[in-house]
Amino acid sequence: MMLKVSDVKQFLYCPRVVYFTYVMPVHRKVTRKMEYGKEEHLEIERLERRRGFRSYDLSEGERRYRTKLCSERLGVEGVLDMHIVCGSGCFPVEFKNTSRHPGLNHKYQLVCYAMLLEEQYGKPVRHGFLYLIPGKRVHVVEITPNARTFVRKTLDQIKMMIARESFPPAPRRPARCFECEYRNYCADVV
Amino acid sequence: MYFLTEEEKKHLLKGLLPRSRELGIAEELRGWNWPAPPLQPVYDTVLALYEVANSYCPTNRDLYLRRVRRVFPAPSAAMVQGRVLHAALVHVLVSAKRLIYSVGVAQYQTICRELQELGPVNVESELQALAPEDAADLKRKVAIVTEFEKARIISRIQEILFKQPYIGEDSLAVLAIPVIVEQKLDGSFLGLSPNLSTDAFTVCEPMIVDLKFGERRDFHRLTTTGYALVMESLYEFPVNIGCLVYGSFRGDRLIINKDLHIIDDELRQWFIESRDEKARMVYEEIDPGFPAECYQGCHCYAACHG
Repeated sequence: MMLKVSDVKQFLYCPRVVYFTYVMPVHRKVTRKMEYGKEEHLEIERLERRRGFRSYDLSEGERRYRTKLCSERLGVEGVLDMHIVCGSGCFPVEFKNTSRHPGLNHKYQLVCYAMLLEEQYGKPVRHGFLYLIPGKRVHVVEITPNARTFVRKTLDQIKMMIARESFPPAPRRPARCFECEYRNYCADVV
Repeated sequence: MYFLTEEEKKHLLKGLLPRSRELGIAEELRGWNWPAPPLQPVYDTVLALYEVANSYCPTNRDLYLRRVRRVFPAPSAAMVQGRVLHAALVHVLVSAKRLIYSVGVAQYQTICRELQELGPVNVESELQALAPEDAADLKRKVAIVTEFEKARIISRIQEILFKQPYIGEDSLAVLAIPVIVEQKLDGSFLGLSPNLSTDAFTVCEPMIVDLKFGERRDFHRLTTTGYALVMESLYEFPVNIGCLVYGSFRGDRLIINKDLHIIDDELRQWFIESRDEKARMVYEEIDPGFPAECYQGCHCYAACHG
């Protein structure tokens, strides 16, 4: 089965989101936050076209937007916000609308995109970037062997959860449930 | 065995240390964030660090037997060997420190001579549990480790003394043997035993060192990771580097390989997952079942299979 890169992010945030997507599909309410996020992405994309590469610590390159990536081998596909191609390689960039330090789920989503880019270009990807929209800050993420292993393991865990149709435990951070679009379906936490 | 070679020092200083500082560890995975998830323990089960880190049995049924069924099989020959060789090394390192403090720098030749004459640690009681040929082999290995370590320390003492004419005992001891062996740590904040003991801890750059005699396994890094988290929870400074020291024997030669590694986000998450999974197994008294294949020399084999 083919998973989405965003499933990695969601699973690490709360595995129940992935459960409700694949095992027990339910109606998902589109929240204001989600719509706002889409608008922000379009705006940042427009601005990025006019910018240089200094914030990425690169001298030159070419920006490519909303690239569809797919790997049969990993069993995962997704649409990457942006990637930079230059002489020293290619680097995935994900736009994130957070003013805090990016979460681990964002990190591994980026690592997963880096693995897909590697397959697309047949070259190793050493770094990726999380562009934090509110502060216009760029956060560098090193793509380490351990991080790749972790992503593969996470993909396996997701596949196993779907195959066994096992309902995962609730996340241990209750704050995550407040703005969740599946809140109504988690009777044991809300 | 804990001292790094020139190449290992270079690897540490030019490679791992700068990378570990650039890499950035997620704040939630630093030991000092133990009061919040994911580090906050879920169950009030107290585990020893080795119980979390070791995964020799694929289903961890050894842990279930010990902690739930209260079955305590006798240690295997490999376990006895590991324990005895650890003790042999501690004996040399502690004796050398003791000699430096008690004899003094002024009589450094006495330190070197007495260290040279130091006999191996007495392990007769441990050897009784082994077959005669295993006991004889272990005795030989203890002698090899002892002689090797004595020679290394003497050479380090002399090297420091020719460079530092005004050195005192305390400084000589720290420079010649810059490790604390069997450092006691309280792992309570992370749901671990309050009486943990790490093989060695280097003081110059906070680095957890763990000694292994046996095959290299990927989960061995969980040991250094666990101690790093505990150190961070207790002292609130970052511990980014771990070092696994693998000792093996080729005839009468001691061969040492080191696995220097960064204690990164992934290892930390793996450790926490393993802790939670095993704590749940003990708390809920869940029998994980038999593995598809038992490993050779498992000390729980008889307990599992009658």
